[in-house]
Amino acid sequence: MTDSSFVTLQQELQQLTTRTLSPSARYGHVALLLASALMCAVLASLLATETALPGRTQLAFAVLLVIGTSWLAYALWVLRSRHSLLANQRIVAGRMAVAFTSVFVAGALLLGAVTGRALFPVAAAFGGSLLVLACLALQQAHRRADALRARRSELERMIGAQS
Amino acid sequence: MTSPPERHELADELVVVRCQLGESAAFDELVRRWSAPLYRYALKLAGEAELARDLSQDVWLRAIRGLPRLLDPAQFRPWLFGIAHRCFMDRLRSRYAIAVDNDTDPDALGALAIDADEELLHQSLERGLAALPLLEREVLTLFYLESLPLAEISTVLQIPTGTVKSRLFRARKLLRQLVVNPEQEDDR
Repeated sequence: MTDSSFVTLQQELQQLTTRTLSPSARYGHVALLLASALMCAVLASLLATETALPGRTQLAFAVLLVIGTSWLAYALWVLRSRHSLLANQRIVAGRMAVAFTSVFVAGALLLGAVTGRALFPVAAAFGGSLLVLACLALQQAHRRADALRARRSELERMIGAQS
Repeated sequence: MTSPPERHELADELVVVRCQLGESAAFDELVRRWSAPLYRYALKLAGEAELARDLSQDVWLRAIRGLPRLLDPAQFRPWLFGIAHRCFMDRLRSRYAIAVDNDTDPDALGALAIDADEELLHQSLERGLAALPLLEREVLTLFYLESLPLAEISTVLQIPTGTVKSRLFRARKLLRQLVVNPEQEDDR
């Protein structure tokens, strides 16, 4: 391989890396994951509390719940296999999750207090579960990033000592 | 007792750690460090520049996607070559139907013997290596050209270390037969 064609290969690999690591696609799928999870929480709350609704309406909610679960599974699959998050991106995604679910829980509690309907406390409970998961994910992301930063410092010290 | 890691090994690990943290500049460094060994390995397996280039990109894409899930950054080298091995085997088997021959008869290969003139030894080795069956060519490439230790080759190829040793022994024997003129040996 000539020098110029090897440089071209390097450039191609660099472009491939930049495209693959595009943060917009990653955060887009994080947003999809959160939106579908919150949609599932609302639909599950409706099915659990609105028992007086006509059968066809309940069926429609159930179908929507299946669709929401499918989107949830798809977003999880993409984030796991195609757009795995790097340590810093995991922290951003964790913060997004905590913010989204907190707003959802606060909104559900507020609406529950104002309207007095049973739907909202149940939705707040589902949202609360998601908020706990989001906090755990954020904590894990910080732990992973801290471990990597500590290893980076250690390696820099070892390399410095050898030179 | 294992010896302490050398400076270049520490530097390799540092680049991987920085990539896992999400430092974009570190990915350029990762490409600079690993594109040449990856391409060299691909070329030895594929034997064709365009295919090696195509495979290098395929492997790189898989590696970048999987990098956040690599638990031990110090294991990047065997991990990368492991991806390359699986990727190349899949592609070569499916697209080009190249036989991965495990039962090559060393005597039959004697017919392909190459002149081992001292001046042409390097070229003869290259040609001999290219003429070897895929598995033997791969293990010699990893051991001699990429300087992977036996344990890492075992990880890359997903075979026990003992099998790596026997495959290396067999590969060296085949290569010797390809490089050295067998008629000269018969005369002794």
